[in-house]
Amino acid sequence: MSGFLQHVVDAVALGSLYALTALGIGLIFGVMRLINFAHGDFIMVGAFSLVVPSSAATSTLLIGAWPAPLLVAGVCAVVIALALATERLAFRPVRRADPAVLLITSFAVSFFLQHAVIAIHGGRPKSANIWPNLMEPIVIAGVRMPQLQLITIVVTLGLLAALALFLKRTDIGVAMRAASEDFQTARLLGIRANYVIATAFAISGLLAAVVSLLYVAQTSVLSFQMGVPLVLFAFVATVVGGMGSLAGAVLGGFVVGVGSVFFQVVLPAAWRSNRDVWVYALVLLILLFRPAGLIKTKASEEKA
Amino acid sequence: MLEAVEIEVRFGGLTAIDRVSLALGQDEILGLIGPNGAGKSTLVNALTGFQKPTRGVVRLDGVAIGRWPADRIARLGIARTFQGVRLFQGLTVIENLAAAAIGGGLKRPGAEARGRDILAWMGLDGRDHQLAGALPYGDQRRVAIGRALALAPRFLLLDEPAAGMSDAECDALVGLIRRVPEEFACGVLLIEHNMRVVMAACRRIHVIDSGRTIAAGTPAEIQADRDVIRAYLGTKSEPGHAGR
Amino acid sequence: MAGPRTPLKWLETYSTPIALTLILVGVVGLTWASGAAVFAQTVTDTLIRIMLVVGLYIFIGNSGVLAFGHIAFTLIGAYGTAWLTLSVFKKSFALKLPLILAEHQYAVFPSAIAAALLASLVALVVGVPIMRLSGIAAAIASLAVLGMFHTFYNNWSGWTMGAATLPGLPLYVDMWVALGWVAFALFVAFAYQRSRFGLALRATREDEFGARAAGINIARQRLIAFVLSAFFMGLAGVLHAHFLGSIAVKSFWLGLTFTSLAMLIIGGQRSLTGAVTGAVVISGITEVLRQMEGGFTLGGVTLALPLGSQELGIALVMLLVLIFRPAGLTGGRELAFRLGRRRRADA
Repeated sequence: MSGFLQHVVDAVALGSLYALTALGIGLIFGVMRLINFAHGDFIMVGAFSLVVPSSAATSTLLIGAWPAPLLVAGVCAVVIALALATERLAFRPVRRADPAVLLITSFAVSFFLQHAVIAIHGGRPKSANIWPNLMEPIVIAGVRMPQLQLITIVVTLGLLAALALFLKRTDIGVAMRAASEDFQTARLLGIRANYVIATAFAISGLLAAVVSLLYVAQTSVLSFQMGVPLVLFAFVATVVGGMGSLAGAVLGGFVVGVGSVFFQVVLPAAWRSNRDVWVYALVLLILLFRPAGLIKTKASEEKA
Repeated sequence: MLEAVEIEVRFGGLTAIDRVSLALGQDEILGLIGPNGAGKSTLVNALTGFQKPTRGVVRLDGVAIGRWPADRIARLGIARTFQGVRLFQGLTVIENLAAAAIGGGLKRPGAEARGRDILAWMGLDGRDHQLAGALPYGDQRRVAIGRALALAPRFLLLDEPAAGMSDAECDALVGLIRRVPEEFACGVLLIEHNMRVVMAACRRIHVIDSGRTIAAGTPAEIQADRDVIRAYLGTKSEPGHAGR
Repeated sequence: MAGPRTPLKWLETYSTPIALTLILVGVVGLTWASGAAVFAQTVTDTLIRIMLVVGLYIFIGNSGVLAFGHIAFTLIGAYGTAWLTLSVFKKSFALKLPLILAEHQYAVFPSAIAAALLASLVALVVGVPIMRLSGIAAAIASLAVLGMFHTFYNNWSGWTMGAATLPGLPLYVDMWVALGWVAFALFVAFAYQRSRFGLALRATREDEFGARAAGINIARQRLIAFVLSAFFMGLAGVLHAHFLGSIAVKSFWLGLTFTSLAMLIIGGQRSLTGAVTGAVVISGITEVLRQMEGGFTLGGVTLALPLGSQELGIALVMLLVLIFRPAGLTGGRELAFRLGRRRRADA
């Protein structure tokens, strides 16, 4: 029984990471109809900010050496600044363009960021050990789990709750939600558009920073492509959840996370390296039956 | 015969169409009028597969087609225009019509030939190779009608084709519409606000308000109908003044 | 497919692929006459890129759906031809294939076709669910397909050597072979866009509601273009495989996805000429940047651009084009010539 509970915890923890990433993507999609391919690279840059910029093969901790509250604040500041900068420099000039151009622009930004990091840090993966004690297991209700997983879940729930309040209670939040669900409304953002969009990017950056920290604490590896698997699954999660629905993004993230752990457990050992293939196949299957995703919004229906 | 039988369309709590029935033959022009928001476009959407009716049946020659996808219904011979025109802006005029003819089953040379014929019939020839998006608004609306005709339809549903037209253009439009049933063996359902056009083109008129049928009959009967007058002008009304 | 009767009219209607092919023949001819082997390599490389972008264009240009996953088909084509054309000895050494592949070596030409057809078959299967999705969702779903095949081939060591490079493929692709296939691709792509399927698909790109009202089945038209596009993406993989002589799964991933999309966007995604232009321009820029990465002298000082400048350069050019000229360098126009009477050529 504890084995099963262990898997459940794994699934929820992984789903949390995907949900947070998917939410970061979903927020930007909501206000701008932009699929931010560079989101994974926000995560990556946040991770690399932990070490001193150098092309040496071994890394020295920079922000990673600071006490925990400063460390968290530092990474968040870096990623939020990056998010706001890309919005201002790369996305604002093309804001009125059609979604295809926006998507390609974000792809270009992603490409640019990855190669900039290669130029600064070199192309090889580096290690970054932060908070190693979090990998120590603790026992709750007979289940052994690394503290990190528990923290991941708790932090995620906290962030989701805070975000939900923000989206319901504040003016900006309400505007963001309305824009997300109906693009006509998004276009009416008008004068406040700059402010609302910048806020969306800032929150997206915050979510990316948190994912970055949790991910590095778990894997201790930095590589310039580290954001890619996360972001691919997060994209897929937003589509499965229902484009335009923020709750859908979160739901999609959990579906992908749970599916991933499910296949990891259920597949015979020889097939396990192909677990991701099965997850993608599951996604395509869901889309076959529900092309609009699991949660339908006005964004996914159009009227003549 | 294209029939709508007790059609109901609900969006959540809102009933946009409330048990409307009408029938259109291939040899006639039926007008559909009503105040703004009466549900006219919704009804057209329901008849052409862009909106599934929540209740009721849409029948084409007795076969129920209400749940079929819009493109399949178009291929069956039910063509429509849109209030928002919806031309293929980046394609040329002839390509717009050819695309519809292709939808109707023709190959490209035949499709372009049919397109040219229709453009000539409508008096739009000479513009074949202009980009549809570059045309003046009035011409775009006429090209849209031409595109619908390029399907070789049996039924043509026009959604406010006269919007923004001058009196002269309206008369020309009426002339065009009146020739459709004979020359194309195609029945016409005409949604219009412009009473000049409706009264001149239609032999029968169907009036809806707030999703319900409130009158049906000849133009003369409709003009004198109290319910119709009240719907357009409110409770204080004078006979003889119908429409805007 | 449109086919006007007189030879003169045919020439005029097909002037775009004819003109493009003639230009390429000119370039190849000049390079061959010059005898410079290095140039020949660059030209062949550029031709393969043209094939890639033309394949991408067939779907993206006509449908307006920015699918992201096409490199999956290039991957499938590359390994497909490897399975068929590697010598039996080499196969026994590195791979565990079923007998029909392990014990035979097939001729290169039918193998190329077979590998490309395999890519099309896969496109047909995954295309059915994907083409029913809205534009953005379809783009992402196609990315899922790329992810799927990338992971799959990376782990399929018996058939692909996994993440390792698979060497030893017959090297038969030179400038002329590449040119031949590219000319074929140009004519097929053009014939498609002139056909009723091409026009129907373009209509869906302009206005989906209008297209449905015109009797066009959007999913079906997209699927047709998707399958045709996959054939040429697969063919590009074949050419790549037999030009380099060795292939690795990691080459067919996001880097190539990005550069191929960049070439199409920069050239102009709405025309065949745009596809070719983008491939040529980006190849040129890449070549220049590569030379500069290697070091150059400017006023007596030796400079070298940092590694990765090629990619940064492409990304920058792409961003500039997107911001200032979203329709690309050709703006959706086709290269065409007129013979005889003055008449506007339509796309």
